[in-house]
Amino acid sequence: MQKRLSNPDALLSILDNLPTSIIVKDVDLNFVYSNRAHCQMIDRPEHELLGKSDKDFWPQEQADMFLQNDRSVMLTGEESIVEEQATNSNGTTSVLLTHKTRLESPDGRSYLLCVNSDISALRKRENHYRALTESVPIGIAQVDEDLNVHFANPLFKLFSGGSGSEYEQERVLRKLTEENPAFPGKACKFEAVVQGIGSEPRTMMVISSGWLDLGETRRSATVSLIDVTQMTELQRINAEVSRLNKDLAANMKSLKEAQDELVKRGRMEQLGQLTATVAHELRNPLGAVRTSAYLLQRKTKDTGLGLETLIERINKGVTRCDNIITQLLDFSRNKMLECQPGKLDDWLAGVIEEEARSLPQVLEIELSLGLDGRDVPFDPARLQRAVVNLVSNAAEAMVGTVDQPHANPTSNPRLTISTKVRDGLVCLKVEDNGPGMSEDVVARVREPLFTTKSFGTGLGIPAVEQIAHQHGGKLDIRSVVNQGSSFEIWLPLQTQQETAVA
Amino acid sequence: MSRQLNILVVDDDAGNAESLAELFQLDNHRVIVAYDGQQAIEAFSLNKVDVGFFDVMMPNKNGVDSFIEIRSKFPEARVYFMTGYSADDLIDKAINGGALGVFSKPVDLSRVLAAVESEAA
Repeated sequence: MQKRLSNPDALLSILDNLPTSIIVKDVDLNFVYSNRAHCQMIDRPEHELLGKSDKDFWPQEQADMFLQNDRSVMLTGEESIVEEQATNSNGTTSVLLTHKTRLESPDGRSYLLCVNSDISALRKRENHYRALTESVPIGIAQVDEDLNVHFANPLFKLFSGGSGSEYEQERVLRKLTEENPAFPGKACKFEAVVQGIGSEPRTMMVISSGWLDLGETRRSATVSLIDVTQMTELQRINAEVSRLNKDLAANMKSLKEAQDELVKRGRMEQLGQLTATVAHELRNPLGAVRTSAYLLQRKTKDTGLGLETLIERINKGVTRCDNIITQLLDFSRNKMLECQPGKLDDWLAGVIEEEARSLPQVLEIELSLGLDGRDVPFDPARLQRAVVNLVSNAAEAMVGTVDQPHANPTSNPRLTISTKVRDGLVCLKVEDNGPGMSEDVVARVREPLFTTKSFGTGLGIPAVEQIAHQHGGKLDIRSVVNQGSSFEIWLPLQTQQETAVA
Repeated sequence: MSRQLNILVVDDDAGNAESLAELFQLDNHRVIVAYDGQQAIEAFSLNKVDVGFFDVMMPNKNGVDSFIEIRSKFPEARVYFMTGYSADDLIDKAINGGALGVFSKPVDLSRVLAAVESEAA
């Protein structure tokens, strides 16, 4: 068995090499022993300390405190562990954890053994952590498996509302477990509305570390609450702003379109007025020419002057001028439609019957009416112009006019006019088996002033389309070269006002 | 054999008015020519008019308004209208006021003569 170390010098050397300061005081609390660590703390050699007391080295207030604690231990004989602050002559303050014990020597005298551990660094770190948990803008708590709160920083208590008691904290935590079953055992992050007792509801970003093994019997998790109410509000405002921006862009677009439409309409209105004036001014002299030609014909009849061909030429010229004026009026007319619900089929039959009289006899005209007596809102005068335009176009394309027959007419020319209802719209179709149009021509035929005829105004189809649009409908055009063309005027079954009301 | 009519032709366009007048005269009718609405009213007061052919748009007083005024004094007045373009409101007013018909200019003479014929029958 090893002999126990008992050499006093060796023992003193051990004491001197400990980082803990060790002092022994006599009954008067004067130093009778100081190890090296204690000497270093006071910054004096041991011989200067012996026989002196704390009063000689520490600020009076601190020294009084030490001595009071010392006396209490000397008196009662009870060990004490106290935290003391000590400021040395250099002004350095240390936090000491002091263990005080009364020793009884064999000669019956009492001594006081003080063992000081410098816990300044520990305390400093602790203070840092405390300052951190108290100053972060995050509510932090340490929560165990029973939702007991082991630690909560002031903000967490504030978020819990009321007095920030453990009961209130637990109430908030329990609510969060209902919001998210993973909480707090699994690492998670979610948004939840937290309402502390007596506080406004606030939107929180809740973050849990999940269970941490801190070597304790119960696992615990660190729970953080970040108030994102303002951020949520910002997000909402942001979303609102971007929605408004979108609206604004859309509004700007429709405003621009409305503006363009106004400009266009303004021009059309000017054109309409101009055309109306010109039409009136031209038709009066045309009337005089026609009547005069008629008079001339009557007066020179049977005179053998041979003026018949000349007079016929004048008449044709007048008719052609009149047709041009009519087309101009059709296109530039932009008055409100006067739509009345009516039997479109019956009306159409009448229009075609009348129009057929002025078409070449060779044309086969087929009428296929499929509206079953349905009422359709339309402006008869305007729609008649559209139908007459399409019918005379088709006839001209196939066989020309009575006055000017086509040089290369379509064989078995057939004109089909039909009506039907499809998808809540009425379709009025004018179809021919004439020469058709190339894709290029179809693409351009809606353009005002575009024409393939030597005497066309190029306003016929644009006028038809305009009339369809004014009815709230559209014009569809299909054509195949050498097979024929079809023009479909699609009209709503209800007037636009009715649609708006419905 | 149709009877001779007193026809009033009203048109501010002299070429139109006079050529129509000559046409009617050729068929042995008596024709009075007026060049605006006011003259038309006076013509009706001074003459026995069997039938009138009125232009719509004219200076001083338009054809329709003068027709309405004439009808208030001569409820039996028989008048056709001739127009260079469809001034819908005025035409509606004329038809509602008792006009016999409307011809668009340049008028189809066969229809105008047929109208005269029916008046003379």
